[in-house]
Amino acid sequence: MILTLIFTLGEVVYGLEIDAIQEIIEDPVLHHVPRAEGVLKGAINFHGQILAMVDLPELLGFAGAMRDPRRVVLTPAGKSLVLTVSSIQRIVPLDLANMHAPPENCEKGAIRGVADMDETAVNLLDTDEILNQLEARYAE
Amino acid sequence: MRIEISYKFIIGFLVVVVSGVIVNLAVPHLKIPGEFQQTFSIACALVVGLIIGAIFSRAFTTNIRQLTSAGDRIRQGDLSEDLTLQQNLFPDETSDLAKAMNYIQESLRALVGDIRGIAFKVASSAQHLSGTAQEMSASSQQVAETVDQISKGAETQAEMVEESNRLFKEVAMSINLVASSAKKVAESAHQTVETANSGSALAGTSLSSIRQVLVEAESSGKQMVNFVAQLQKISKFVEVINGIAQKTNLLALNATIEAARAGEYGHGFAVVAEEIRKLADSTTISSDEITGLVEGIRAEGQQVQASMAQVIEEMENGREAVDRTSQAFTEITDNAVGTRAKANSIAELAEQQIVSAERITRAIEEIDKVVSDNAAATEQVSAATQEQSAAMEELAQSAKDLSSMSETLLKVVKQFKLVKQEQD
Repeated sequence: MILTLIFTLGEVVYGLEIDAIQEIIEDPVLHHVPRAEGVLKGAINFHGQILAMVDLPELLGFAGAMRDPRRVVLTPAGKSLVLTVSSIQRIVPLDLANMHAPPENCEKGAIRGVADMDETAVNLLDTDEILNQLEARYAE
Repeated sequence: MRIEISYKFIIGFLVVVVSGVIVNLAVPHLKIPGEFQQTFSIACALVVGLIIGAIFSRAFTTNIRQLTSAGDRIRQGDLSEDLTLQQNLFPDETSDLAKAMNYIQESLRALVGDIRGIAFKVASSAQHLSGTAQEMSASSQQVAETVDQISKGAETQAEMVEESNRLFKEVAMSINLVASSAKKVAESAHQTVETANSGSALAGTSLSSIRQVLVEAESSGKQMVNFVAQLQKISKFVEVINGIAQKTNLLALNATIEAARAGEYGHGFAVVAEEIRKLADSTTISSDEITGLVEGIRAEGQQVQASMAQVIEEMENGREAVDRTSQAFTEITDNAVGTRAKANSIAELAEQQIVSAERITRAIEEIDKVVSDNAAATEQVSAATQEQSAAMEELAQSAKDLSSMSETLLKVVKQFKLVKQEQD
């Protein structure tokens, strides 16, 4: 059982192990980065560090969804990205060992797998995939 | 010298005898043959007798004839000539008779003259009378006609009087109706006044009630404002609580993350953090509920305010309506008071009119009596006039008769000639 942060992107329930999370901060001051890609909303000052904030819903195709003012700061392992999500729910222990494989044709969804949380399907976020997608975007 | 006829007779005889004697005495002297002496003496005596007789009788008969013719004349009516006897040498009884006849003629003349005069007068009087009788008849007819007219007029009067009576009875009835209607109107006006007064009082009460309601509505409005202000405060507090809860939630999340990073030693801390998060969550839920309630209350409060505003508006309208109603009631009251006064005066006038109508009816009855009397009197006059008319006719007839009789008398009298120059 691994503690997982449950959040939503639009209506879809996602999850991320808290190992990958540094902290959750509320509505940080966003510094506008000139000529930044749409998904990169800006940069924030996190305890002296300048981190880039990514609008996850927009990145993963939930552009019209709502946004939680609380941002998820990833660990350096996740390149210290700051993620904006639709809504941060809570932290629950999930059995990730028995998670199911992600649905086919869903590479753009950045889902590592699907875990089961009391009859709810939780899509586990793939931070690497997010990085890949970001780079892919910047490559263009 | 008057010699009576008998004497004349005697004288005649004597003369004859004397002459006979004379002749007898004379004959011998005359140389007449003896046989003729007797004859001669008789003849002489006869001759003398004849002569004397002739003379005498001629005179006598002439007188008699004259008398006879005078008598004839008198019989025929000629009273103009006085008889004078021609042979009146020795007046005798014939002259007496002639005188007597003259006297008779005279008196006849006088009589006839008188009769004539009287007959004239009678004739003229009769004519006058006839004329007067005719006039009287004519005027009597006129009177009869006039009386007839009067009679008809009296009939018409009687009819008119009846008609007037009937009309006046109708008038009296309608006046009575008017009077009773006026009384009813006065009563209903009175009722109207009372009703209007009570309506006015009600309107006043309504107005004061409305004013009270408006005042209370105003105070309720103020209370509502306070209420809303309180709700605002609550909302703010709930916001604060919500903020706290959210931050607590965040802290709890971060605490869980840190606790996880702390490893074994962080487990208890993670549990605590989890509990804190749950508390924060339930706090959020509760404050959400509170917010929901507050919103609901605010919405209801707004509704209440809206309905109160509507109520106030309607109250205002109601107040205006009650004001107008009050005015209307006042007008109605004034009108009704006026109507009552008018109805009362109408009733009074009707009463007066009834009295007058009764008087008029009595006067008409009097007239009726007079008319009846008139009619009766007229009938009497008519009858009397008819009688008079008949009498007039009789009188006229009598006058005519008298006139014709006098005419006849005149005719008869005219036959007598009183004076020689008279024409027949």
